[in-house]
Amino acid sequence: MENVVITGRGLISSLGNTPELMFKNLQEGACAFRSEPEWRKYNGLETFVSAPAYPYDAHALSRNVRRSMSAMSEMAYLATLDALNDAQLTIGRDESSTQTNFHRPNHLRVGLVMGSTSGSPIYLEAYFKKMFEMGGPKGQMSTSFFKVMNHSVATNVALALGYSGPLISPSSACSTSSQAAILAMQLIRAGVWDVAVVGGADELHFTSVAVFDTVKASSKNYNDCPQDIPGPFSLNRDGLVVSEGAGILVLESEKHALARKAKIYGQLLGGSYFCDGIHMSQPQAEQMALTMSEALKDANISPDAIGYVNAHATATSIGDEQEVQAISSVFAGRKVPVSSLKGHLGHSLAACGTIEIIAILEMMKNKTLIGNRNVTEVSPDFSGVDILTQNKSKDIPYVLSNNFAFGGMNTSLIIKNQI
Amino acid sequence: MQRSEIVNQINATLAENFELKIDQLKPDSNLFTDLKLDSLDAIDMLVHLEEKMGKKLDVEKLKEARTLNDIYNIVEDVLK
Repeated sequence: MENVVITGRGLISSLGNTPELMFKNLQEGACAFRSEPEWRKYNGLETFVSAPAYPYDAHALSRNVRRSMSAMSEMAYLATLDALNDAQLTIGRDESSTQTNFHRPNHLRVGLVMGSTSGSPIYLEAYFKKMFEMGGPKGQMSTSFFKVMNHSVATNVALALGYSGPLISPSSACSTSSQAAILAMQLIRAGVWDVAVVGGADELHFTSVAVFDTVKASSKNYNDCPQDIPGPFSLNRDGLVVSEGAGILVLESEKHALARKAKIYGQLLGGSYFCDGIHMSQPQAEQMALTMSEALKDANISPDAIGYVNAHATATSIGDEQEVQAISSVFAGRKVPVSSLKGHLGHSLAACGTIEIIAILEMMKNKTLIGNRNVTEVSPDFSGVDILTQNKSKDIPYVLSNNFAFGGMNTSLIIKNQI
Repeated sequence: MQRSEIVNQINATLAENFELKIDQLKPDSNLFTDLKLDSLDAIDMLVHLEEKMGKKLDVEKLKEARTLNDIYNIVEDVLK
């Protein structure tokens, strides 16, 4: 079975568009939350905070490519370009690149796996608004559908790169990109692919926030002072803040990476994705624990090897509680360090899994765990684990990373430091 | 509507929606090779021009159009 390593990283996040800048901001305890006064006009919405993406510019793309893209495809494309540059790989048709030392793999041995929660929410609104106003499709642009179809992100990235080859577009909301990474890991291990470009992207829109608002999972008590929103695991936490962005990784068989002398950032040692089949929105500790245990088994390591757990924790009442319960049961009494980055970055939905892996790789490189932001008092129920309330210097050879999503979608990954 | 006004309105519509510069837009400009439009753009051009002119255009004639001048003629015919 092939080992799977990470050789490229690209991202658009709310706290920076390079791994180094995002990490610097995380280390300094920065927070991307801001008020959204414009959202006050939406009937029934009570959450008026967001964590928008750090500024980016997609105008270098030709109009013919950009015309079918919404913001999430633009972000995914830019992140993919950065990830491929980082890996010094090209998977597109264009061989006229002036950059040197680019390796060109056999297209049949490469896969592209990326997705989003849904098609573009911005254009879904515009598409159906016009459809209802006009009483039918009159006046629709030819490219409207290409922005709202579910595989819009993946196909737009492929088109912009000139990539032809296997493409899969997973969509499981907040576990989309972690699921993409695990699926690609399995295919590389099995020898089907040498290289996979994986990840997820989502764009900010009030309807994405409304989903969490409706199920009482979003923060609504700090609309005028979003920087004060309590962090994950806080006793007084009041819900999540929706963000946007893209996180893209280049995964590669270790053999392939070593053969071309690629820089290796870490190893994707194991992973599991399990649907709980129990409840659409209520997290289930037992099932989360099962997912983590399966990931550890898949990585062939014991929980004792794990030096840090990067939690999914979004600062919801039940979600954080169930996740801690699950971690406590897996680590059987050992107080493993736990933190979530969602108090800094917000929740970038389909992008969060791979953005968090990039942050984990930076933590490993810098031997620094990022503590939860803005936690003045940890919920007393969480005494079974070590909830980090500040950064901590630590060498971490192995990390467990969780991402969970509506529909009972649970994912866990094991990352090994290889620097 | 005078031909010159039709030309100006069509050029303004194309410039706005297809990121073209007005001085690129010559009557003999080929829609596909000079202006780099394609079949999807042609569909969107139809939507934009119908909206701008308030008239339904002949799709079959538009399919045959190759130059900007062909577009000016099609719109002028409809407005007559």
